[in-house]
Amino acid sequence: MRLIRSELMKIRTTNVWWIFALSILAFNVLMLLIWTFGYTGDRLRSAKMPMEQMLPPASEVPPEEYERMRQEILASRDIDKILIDGATQIYTSGQFFILLFIMLLGAILMTNEFFHQTATTTFLTTPQRTKVILAKFAAIGFFSVIIWAVTTAVSVGGGAAYLASQGYGAQLGEWQVQRPILMNLLAFVLWGILGVGLGVLLRSQIAAVVVGAVAYVIGSQAVQIAAFLVYEYLIKKDWVIQAMVGWPSVASQVMISPDAFMGAGIVAAPKWWVGLLVLIGYGLFFGVIGTLITRKRDIT
Amino acid sequence: MTSTADGQIVVSGLTKHYGRVRAVDDLSFTVQPGRVTGFLGPNGAGKTTTLRMVLNLVTPTSGAATISGQRYADLADPIRHVGAILEASSAHKGRSGRNHLRIQCAAAGLPLTRADEMLELVGLTPAAKRKFRGYSLGMRQRLGIASAMLGNPSALILDEPANGLDPEGIRWMRDLLRHFASEGRTVLVSSHLLGEMEQLADDVVIIASGKLVAQGAVDDVVKGMSTSEQVRVRTPDADKLVAALGPDAKFSKDNGVLMLSGVSAPEVGAAALRAGVELHELVAERRDLEDVFLELTAGKAAIR
Repeated sequence: MRLIRSELMKIRTTNVWWIFALSILAFNVLMLLIWTFGYTGDRLRSAKMPMEQMLPPASEVPPEEYERMRQEILASRDIDKILIDGATQIYTSGQFFILLFIMLLGAILMTNEFFHQTATTTFLTTPQRTKVILAKFAAIGFFSVIIWAVTTAVSVGGGAAYLASQGYGAQLGEWQVQRPILMNLLAFVLWGILGVGLGVLLRSQIAAVVVGAVAYVIGSQAVQIAAFLVYEYLIKKDWVIQAMVGWPSVASQVMISPDAFMGAGIVAAPKWWVGLLVLIGYGLFFGVIGTLITRKRDIT
Repeated sequence: MTSTADGQIVVSGLTKHYGRVRAVDDLSFTVQPGRVTGFLGPNGAGKTTTLRMVLNLVTPTSGAATISGQRYADLADPIRHVGAILEASSAHKGRSGRNHLRIQCAAAGLPLTRADEMLELVGLTPAAKRKFRGYSLGMRQRLGIASAMLGNPSALILDEPANGLDPEGIRWMRDLLRHFASEGRTVLVSSHLLGEMEQLADDVVIIASGKLVAQGAVDDVVKGMSTSEQVRVRTPDADKLVAALGPDAKFSKDNGVLMLSGVSAPEVGAAALRAGVELHELVAERRDLEDVFLELTAGKAAIR
């Protein structure tokens, strides 16, 4: 317990944490604006437009084509679906960037020990290195929970106010809306742990931050391109696309909202719990490998 | 715990290989409480590696080290038993000295107020809330001392603590370590500054190429050398004097100065009188730690 306290003090006693906290809040608010006024607002507006304005004159298209377009528009005007889709995004605003920041914070918490040569002091005070790593996991987890609580409060407060201003309820009673909010909490904690693990594997601060950010931001695009190429030219099987869930950032995406799975248009998206298991698997893998390496390593 | 006094450091058969290099090679020595022990050796002799193995930071290839009869990793809250200063620049640049200490207090279950007490002890109170980045080298060493003393340990281990200190700082450090030892605690301090060590240390452990070369009280180590005393003579008749001294005396001539070993100054004086040799100078030169050190470690290349 006191080790966790010590690790939390390490986070709190430098400027890094509030720079991260401010960035996280900034993205949280920015994405909240986009998901409310932009995404949900647009869909609500078009749902309220008179049908005639959205269809070409009936004389210009064949009747069956006209009917298809009409059905499509009708489907998109399902207010309940718009509200639930919107609430799901609104209440997890900024998730993509927040996860990135949490992972980097976890990585820095570990690499700082080597960058600033504080590993010596840390391991002199606590020679049981496994305990130190576990305390770091706990500290970043604790920090992630606070970040989740604050950003979710902002998103839910702002989002519910927006929906109310449009004359709708907050949709918080829906499991489809609750689940992403809860999964977000899990994702925050797991990405923090992944970050610490990454910091152990790549002791260099710069390397850990660059590799982490690149793998996170560009990695999922690269995985997507690779999967689609294989699917298109080599193995035309659904599992090729579904296997993208093996990449951590795709896994957390699937865990929170399977609908957003990048291959969803082509094949069935993997179930949300598959994403959860993959992410837990990475967390365990990085955690165990990182701990084993730290136990063996000479601190010089 | 009758055989091992509190704070006693015992190194037995400690060995560390890096690839094919034997950085430390079957090293054994004992450090007693209540005395300052200098840990000497040329650069690259394995001093730092040895200290880090004692402190469980580096895993030995074989052998072990104990403090008060226990391995460092087995001590409950080791900083309450052993304080260590290994490098001056080991704090986060963007963190205040006070917070640096408080973090250790928290991890070791010490009251956080202990940090302020130690800052006061080392005279850093005015800089307590300043960031570490703004500390001078001397201030960093003082913070290191404060950190080592947090747990009120019975043993102190310091690696080159005088590095980068100004003369006043070196004196402060020396007084502090002497005081610490006088309270019955163990002080093991590595250095390559031999003049400094001769003033400070009661005992010395000398290593070269990772192996033990000499160990014991400073005076004993110096006296124990076969050529511990030399006699310097100036005389216009060197050959006659050497002949008069007999075969036991070894001599060397340099710039009209005759250096004699294996004989004492009174014997030289008596021999000169008997032989009627004129003397212009007759000085018994006691050898110091530096001479002994250089002689003991000669030919053991630092770079391996």
